Amino acid sequence: MRLLIVEDEPDLLASMAQALREEGYAVDTAAEGEDGLFKAESVDYDAIILDVMLPQMDGWTVLKNLRRAKKTPVLMLTARDQSRDRVKGLDTGADDYVVKPFDLPELFARLRALIRRSANRTTNQLEIGRVVIDTAARTVTLDTKPVEITAREYALLEYLALHRGEVVTRATLYEHLFGDDDDTLSNLLDVHVSNLRKKLGHEFISTRRGHGYCIE
Amino acid sequence: MIFNSIRARLQIWYGLILVVILAGFGITAYELERGHLLGRINSELERRANFLANSLHPNRGPGRGPEGDDAPLDRPPPGDFPEDGPPENRLGGPPRLHLAPQAAGLFDASDPNNFYFLMFSHDGRIVQRSTNAPAEALSPADQAVHQPPQEARRPVENRPVHPRNFAIKGDRVEFKLEMPLGGAFVVGCSLAPELLALRIVAVKLTVAGGVILLLGLGGGWWLASRAIRPIEDISATASKISAGDLAQRINLADTESELGRLATVLNSTFARLEAAFAQQQQFTSDAAHELRTPVTVILTQTQLSLSRERSPAEYRQTLETCQRTAQRMRRLIESLLALARLDAGQETMKRLKFDLATVIRDCADLVQPLAADREVTVLLEAPPLECTGDSERIAQVLTNLLTNAIHYNRPHGDVRVTTELQNGSAVITVRDTGLGIAAEDLPRVFERFYRSDKSRTSGGHGLGLSICQAIITAHGGTMEVASEAGVGTTFTVRLPVG
Repeated sequence: MRLLIVEDEPDLLASMAQALREEGYAVDTAAEGEDGLFKAESVDYDAIILDVMLPQMDGWTVLKNLRRAKKTPVLMLTARDQSRDRVKGLDTGADDYVVKPFDLPELFARLRALIRRSANRTTNQLEIGRVVIDTAARTVTLDTKPVEITAREYALLEYLALHRGEVVTRATLYEHLFGDDDDTLSNLLDVHVSNLRKKLGHEFISTRRGHGYCIE
Repeated sequence: MIFNSIRARLQIWYGLILVVILAGFGITAYELERGHLLGRINSELERRANFLANSLHPNRGPGRGPEGDDAPLDRPPPGDFPEDGPPENRLGGPPRLHLAPQAAGLFDASDPNNFYFLMFSHDGRIVQRSTNAPAEALSPADQAVHQPPQEARRPVENRPVHPRNFAIKGDRVEFKLEMPLGGAFVVGCSLAPELLALRIVAVKLTVAGGVILLLGLGGGWWLASRAIRPIEDISATASKISAGDLAQRINLADTESELGRLATVLNSTFARLEAAFAQQQQFTSDAAHELRTPVTVILTQTQLSLSRERSPAEYRQTLETCQRTAQRMRRLIESLLALARLDAGQETMKRLKFDLATVIRDCADLVQPLAADREVTVLLEAPPLECTGDSERIAQVLTNLLTNAIHYNRPHGDVRVTTELQNGSAVITVRDTGLGIAAEDLPRVFERFYRSDKSRTSGGHGLGLSICQAIITAHGGTMEVASEAGVGTTFTVRLPVG
């Protein structure tokens, strides 16, 4: 899952980005509205966290311009909790709203719900044969036994599981799993896929040579 | 209580005054009518009495009085009483009055007033009377005949003596005509027709008075209601405002009347209240908003840090971020408190003499490291100038202006500070060579929480200039800003010297 955070307070931006990375998301950041809009338009993010109060171009303008091109789920961050602000945000095309100051667990939960809704699912449980993925707890079980899995492996697995039956190209996987700041080695993806096959069975992820990967 | 309402009290007073006026008018009219009726009756009685007196010797012979009288009717000469033996020259002897037929016709029951007469001798006996004289009129006590005042006045003729005596007895009125030689005529009549007429007049007056009173009270109520209605409008609007709806205004069409002017004054007061209230609300909301972001930073930093084991370096970094953020909050809170104290007038400014040039030099020294860091030159053109005021506060203002001028300057730009004396005011200008402030932002730079760059990266919280302006205002001075895009911004402070 790849996220974009647009926030002008540097300390807040850094701590949110780190917290979300530790949750297994690939995170891009922007400190200004224009930069944020540019990134949001050029990359298919799974969700965007957008602050309302931004220098030069504010959050409303970013959202309005983004909605002309993309339907990426947007979570607005605001310091104003008057209902007219919330109404304005939701009417402009925001998908959810978090009022500062917020708790990180709440922010995570709202993000998960946002991504789940955008994938047209209603529960946090993904069942694929003998494998069950809990997207809330970020755990994986094989025949009801827990499987040890790294955050990056989990992200890869979740993305493929969410697009079950589709062939996901390596480029798409790179885009969604690694942020701008990640040093992506070309064979890193193969290593993660190989590790997942060892843990969940070789046939669990099939390779379409020349296209990408797929969970049947 | 209904009697506490102005309308009811006005109405009561109005009613009372109307009752007094109507009663006075009615009583006067009644008395005038009564006087008129009685006067008519009295003159009629008097006429008849005189007629009687003049008919005392109807069979007067050819013998003339010594004067050779040519007015026999009112001059009964002595010895002109043929039925009387010795001429006593007195009324009251054996009845000798012979009434002429037309005189008798004056006294019968056919007249509605029932005129009657009685003739008394000098010793109070009834000598003659008309048949219709009422019985009670016959009692001697009732008709005590006074002896004529013969000593005082000794007329030689039996002419009627005045003053005449009118007396009202029950529903009768009598007129007593005393004769100079003793004896008297009493002519009376019933007042029944007059009393009836007077009663009718009284009833008419009462009815008319009542109608006028009712009309007056109704008109008074209408007038009072009309006069009170604007007050009720004002009261209703004020109630709505006190209930929290500050947008309400009194809507009076008539703005020229006393109440209209009151409404205008109240409306402008309400408008100022509303504006002040909205400003206060905006300020509180902005202050809360400014505090929310640093709290969010501390919350996310600590929650992130505590979510798992961290290295000492990571903990240290979290703590440093939290400290930095808390210090930012402290600065904001101190500024908010300073503004609140300045607003409430609790911040007292010292009134001491100081040299403005020294203060400016100190401030320039203070900001020198920042200027060096930004490669900005600070130039001073400040000759010694004695001012009165709180030098620490003035220094705070100047430091703030200098910091802004350095902060928003271009690299290798300069900041020029000048002072001069103009019309009893020290005029301080702080001019920078920065980008300038956009024209649309210029009027708002002194607004609280207003930042022209709208970002938090400059580190300010948008209260600095508001505080500066509050301090200068507390000194009785003014503060202005002028700016030209690409050339620079000039802040001008005018401070009374005395």
